Amino acid sequence: MPPSDPHSAISRPPRRTRTLETEVLVIGGGVTGTGIMRDLALRGISSILVDKRDLNAGASGGNHGLLHSGGRYAANDTETARECMAEGDILKRIAPECIDACGGLFVAVEGDDPEFAERFAGYCSAAGIPSETLTPAEARELEPALSEKIFAAYTVPDATIDPFRITLEQVNQARDAAGSRFLPHSEVIGFALRDGTILGASCRDNRTGEMFVIRARQYVNAAGAWAMEIARLAGCDSVRLLYAKGTLVISNSRMAKRVINRLRLPGDGDILVPGGTVSMLGTTSDKVTELENLRPTVDEVDRNLAEGIAMVPALASARFIRAFSGVRPLLMAADSGIDGRKASRGFALFDHKDEGLSNFATVTGGKLTTFRLMAEKTSDLVASRLGNTAPCRTAEERLPIGDALRWTTPGFAARYWFSRKDPADAILCECEMVPRSAVDSIVAEAPGAEDEMTLRAIAVRSRVGKGSCQGSFCGIRVSSYLYDRGIYTSPAGLGHMRDFFAERYKGILPVLWGKELPQAELAETLHCGLMGLDVAVPAAAADSETGDETDSETGDGAGQ
Amino acid sequence: MEFSQNRSYSTRLAVIGSGLAGFSASIFALDRGIIPYQIGNTGPLAYTTGYFDLLGYLDGAALADPWAGIARLRAEAPEHPLARIADTAIRAAFSRFCGAVTEMGLSYTVSGGKNLNALLPAGLSKPTLSVPATMISGVEALAAREPALIVDFLGLPGFSAREFAANFKAMWPTLKFARLGFPEMETGAEVYPEVMARALEVPAHREALAERIRGAVREAGEVAFVGLPAILGVHAPDRVHKDMERLVSLPIFEIPTMPPAVPGLRLRELFEQALPERGLVLAPHRKVERLELRGDSAILHFTDNFGEVTVKAEAVILATGRFLSGGLAAERDGIRETLLDLPVEQPETRADWYREDYFDPRGHAINRAGLLVDDAFRVLGRDGRPVSPRLFAAGAVLARQDWVRQRCGAGIALATAFRAVEEAAALLQERVG
Amino acid sequence: MSGASAAAAMPVIDFKAKADELLPDGASYDSCLACGLCSSGCPASGLEGMDPRRFIRMAVLGLNEELSNTPWIWTCTQCKRCAHVCPMNIDVSVLVGLARGLWPQEKKPSGIVRSCEAQMRSDSTSAMGVMPEDFVEIVEETLEEIRASDPRFADLQAPVDKEGAHFFINQNSREPAVEPEEMGPLWKVLDYVGADWTYSSSGWAAENFCMFTGDDNAWRAMVEKRVDAINRLGCKVWINTECGHSFYTLWKGVERFGLTANFEPASLVTYYAKWIREGKLPVNSDWNTRGLKFTLQDPCQLIRKSIGDPAADDLRFVVRTLVGEDNFIDMQPNRNANYCCGGGGGFLQAGMNEQRRAYGKRKYDQIIATDASYVMTPCHNCHSQMEDLGHHYGGSYHVVHFWTLICLSLGLLADTERKYLGPELQDI
Repeated sequence: MPPSDPHSAISRPPRRTRTLETEVLVIGGGVTGTGIMRDLALRGISSILVDKRDLNAGASGGNHGLLHSGGRYAANDTETARECMAEGDILKRIAPECIDACGGLFVAVEGDDPEFAERFAGYCSAAGIPSETLTPAEARELEPALSEKIFAAYTVPDATIDPFRITLEQVNQARDAAGSRFLPHSEVIGFALRDGTILGASCRDNRTGEMFVIRARQYVNAAGAWAMEIARLAGCDSVRLLYAKGTLVISNSRMAKRVINRLRLPGDGDILVPGGTVSMLGTTSDKVTELENLRPTVDEVDRNLAEGIAMVPALASARFIRAFSGVRPLLMAADSGIDGRKASRGFALFDHKDEGLSNFATVTGGKLTTFRLMAEKTSDLVASRLGNTAPCRTAEERLPIGDALRWTTPGFAARYWFSRKDPADAILCECEMVPRSAVDSIVAEAPGAEDEMTLRAIAVRSRVGKGSCQGSFCGIRVSSYLYDRGIYTSPAGLGHMRDFFAERYKGILPVLWGKELPQAELAETLHCGLMGLDVAVPAAAADSETGDETDSETGDGAGQ
Repeated sequence: MEFSQNRSYSTRLAVIGSGLAGFSASIFALDRGIIPYQIGNTGPLAYTTGYFDLLGYLDGAALADPWAGIARLRAEAPEHPLARIADTAIRAAFSRFCGAVTEMGLSYTVSGGKNLNALLPAGLSKPTLSVPATMISGVEALAAREPALIVDFLGLPGFSAREFAANFKAMWPTLKFARLGFPEMETGAEVYPEVMARALEVPAHREALAERIRGAVREAGEVAFVGLPAILGVHAPDRVHKDMERLVSLPIFEIPTMPPAVPGLRLRELFEQALPERGLVLAPHRKVERLELRGDSAILHFTDNFGEVTVKAEAVILATGRFLSGGLAAERDGIRETLLDLPVEQPETRADWYREDYFDPRGHAINRAGLLVDDAFRVLGRDGRPVSPRLFAAGAVLARQDWVRQRCGAGIALATAFRAVEEAAALLQERVG
Repeated sequence: MSGASAAAAMPVIDFKAKADELLPDGASYDSCLACGLCSSGCPASGLEGMDPRRFIRMAVLGLNEELSNTPWIWTCTQCKRCAHVCPMNIDVSVLVGLARGLWPQEKKPSGIVRSCEAQMRSDSTSAMGVMPEDFVEIVEETLEEIRASDPRFADLQAPVDKEGAHFFINQNSREPAVEPEEMGPLWKVLDYVGADWTYSSSGWAAENFCMFTGDDNAWRAMVEKRVDAINRLGCKVWINTECGHSFYTLWKGVERFGLTANFEPASLVTYYAKWIREGKLPVNSDWNTRGLKFTLQDPCQLIRKSIGDPAADDLRFVVRTLVGEDNFIDMQPNRNANYCCGGGGGFLQAGMNEQRRAYGKRKYDQIIATDASYVMTPCHNCHSQMEDLGHHYGGSYHVVHFWTLICLSLGLLADTERKYLGPELQDI
């Protein structure tokens, strides 16, 4: 929790506190923060990136993974729509491995406004979005899962992106290009300020409780929904955000080849996005005032389904394996209302000059599709403040494809394992077919590996725990393997296992009915009856995780 | 095309379900001279640890004395199925069931007055009432903190001897661990406990494995016990166990493993083989699809390879289990019983099924949902009266218990099956009389 | 791998969608708990990097190209043990059959394809290419030899195309093609009980490799030919002799393709048991003075996939009566839970010997665990596979047909009919 008077947070660091030095401290390990880290590194600027949890723990992981064609914004925000098109093209060039150019459809269902549907083609052409008008029959031929009740349909060049993979790749490129570092579970809890300059950031390792200081020349607040809190730590009140909580549900298998958008003003359950091997239906939008401990609810799931079923009736009998929530930071203009859907989807870059700070910048708002542009604008500011005149190269430079960076892509591990034909490379996660070698490479060299690789960290960097059983089997197998590898050596590993299951459960709870419930019943039998985790001493608390790391079910989306 | 096989049967007692409750009901019925017709789907029996729990936990606290725990239930939760059954009946159910399983060739310890502290695969233990003979040395070794060598196997994921030792270290520091290749299965490719277990039914494989274990024991130094994952045979574990102890010259214990595991397979294959030899008419791996209650009988319908089969019964015991077994089904708008749409006691809405914290020691409300019965274990209808004089229920399908958290799965299965059979027998007796 | 080759890409289908279509709702791939019981109890697990759980998982993940191309589908014998042990009753074999059908003919294991082609060539439906006229001739010649060699059988009959006979008897091609003398014991049993029976010159063969190719049309064509022949002769009961999949292919084919069958399908096993119970076959174990131990292999196709426990019970009743209660040691696991030996599904003919023997190692161990010196089985594929396993892994057991022991017990067995008996039973 932020101290009440941020200016006095650490006027003088306590003695023997570890201090890290860097050129730029970037706060927030989402797509934007890691994008800034990469952008700076490609200009030759080294940075430290901190996140109070782990990569993509906020909105970057708590979304559809949809690379908007812009069709969604064509009706009322032509500029955003154009931006989406342009950025989508860049991402397809620099990180094709992260993108599934699956295409998309906009469909209107009986009861939707026919006039709005009719105007759609015009909006698209005004925004330069290539779109084709289909008859309902043609649309159903492309996507047999569509309802018979659709009366209008258009194609759009939607695509999907694996936000986890691109985040890992950005961190990795920054590490290779400029020696930049990522510190997970490191929370900024205050700034030391003097004469309009931030001297240092006081940080806490949320696993151990250890306090340390990071000193940098420039400080970048890319904390997404938490950007307002971070800005306030630096005494800046100009960053004003609305929080819109959005919940999505994930089906057990892929329901449609393309992105399916409802052709009407945005509402619950109006986009069904494929995530490799699954589909995600969302999103609800509810204004919230609290950022921590958000979790998807039964009501939100039901609201998504009620609407989604109108587009894709098979959703009524589909097996869902998980729900997750993200919080969208929406910029509040002075006169804006409180409806999250109507607030600006644009982003804002604050240089905080008016508030008397010369080495602090905040970037927030925006959307997944345009994160690179946000990072570019922010890095332009930071670089100029550092006197660095190198141009931005993120639109041209290819992202790296490393061994340890590719395991988040749905279906990749299965194809990899099957084509390698090495039976000795035992599969640890059967649902997603993640082999031991994947865990080995993550432990050895994935971003964050310098530090500590727990079951949960491995899960963030792979498909472990993302399949039908939601980790109930592989959590046990991966833990055993981590003991075998000597990474776990004490009951702390049991605590991690327990935490992992408890965390997965938050996303499972609201989809527990039908075919998912027997799986959950078996999981509880295993975790309690066989493993004894319900009555085991929560070793993590006793052993290492003394921090107050929040545990919200956000930041786990895009096919997770 | 007509098949000569009989398509309709009649029986005095039909048992629906093939978990512990269903099979124990058949055993208790056979004891009373009633020959039941039992029909049950494959079911989750294969997932069991092999331990028969009576009552291990109350409110998150371990119980050394399950009988004291049951006494507490009678005071605090009198509607709990175990609280509604006299100690004498529970004792009889356990001793008869463990005895029958032992007679059939799978030895279990005699259930006593106190819980045993039995081993779990990740280096924890749990209170239970009766354990297979192949596992009892583990209870003794843990109690005495005897130096033991835990062995795991190359290619067997999910069981790590190192993990077992690391997590027990504080209380059992004399544990040692070793990894072996199982003879003829040491390429590193996945090996299943079931495959190792069946291989060990061949004497030559026992000798080959024992030699490797002896080598590991020599390297480990002072060792009084050897612990293995549960792989000592499927069909004849007692024989395999004794022979391995002879070959290794040390007491050996098994530790249950995660699915797919052996202890549950042993029980299932044993019941399916030995009970028909004792007279049970068993339709294994068949699911009753429809159940009709008539004035003087019940008619069960199921399908085999050749089509529909009907069984007319004078009394029926529903031992159909919960969601995993298919006795209950959860839909978005509520929980229903799958055969007769019997009333299910349940939380008001789906939002009330689960608690926020997965491991909340109070357990989840949905786990206490289920069928209500009267004191004779007859299923109650919406009006609070028995649906039928001939419809009984036993096992996990019953409401007001949380068998997973309270570690009372076998206790509820056996004790309620015992009582249901007792009452069904009384009903059948009346009809004869 | 010599048999199946997957070098070129196969046509790809959506396995998950097909599973949703073909399997009952509660048993769809969506219900999979990923627990692994199917793979744990499947002898094809690990072959070609696959197992049943992986097959399901890959289908759910949409890895259709990989599934369409994997040669594993020829190592799965479609024995349905996976469905049998699955708490959700998920059946992998249905999709394996579908995948087999998708392979271009020239890529399928040639042994299976050639066998099916041979079946298609004549009315015999014989996979070993025995033509109708050859079959009639071989039966006549063999009959003549038996009549001539033993005066007790001077009037032995082996009717062909006898209209209105009560029983229609089928015959695995192996006997007429390779060892016609092995038909003798069967005829002697039928004669002993006074059965009114007939062979048919058309559709007499038992085996159906067309079913194993995954080609439904070919399967149907074979069954149609046989059903027509039985209907034409007006037999009341079709008796499948000692061939496992023959029973399944016929009754399932009739059901699957909606054919009209005016007869009752039955297994010879059922009738052995019936005739013994009725006193028509007064067999006993008196001959087994040395206390030779016998075990039994339940053919998956006959037990788990067809008649189930009633046939398994009959098998045991017959064996126990024949060899003596104490001399019978059941194989573990058995009956419905039995393991496939690896001879089924066309595996024996697929040319994948290394994989087939790896698969069969579990069966070999199960046989060795019984310590029996004889394995009985009413299935030719089981018979050949278990013999091959014995030779390959060094087992000293013998594999015998039921008819051999029945005739031995009745004192009807000729010296020429003892091919599968060990030396200790040559003179009894």
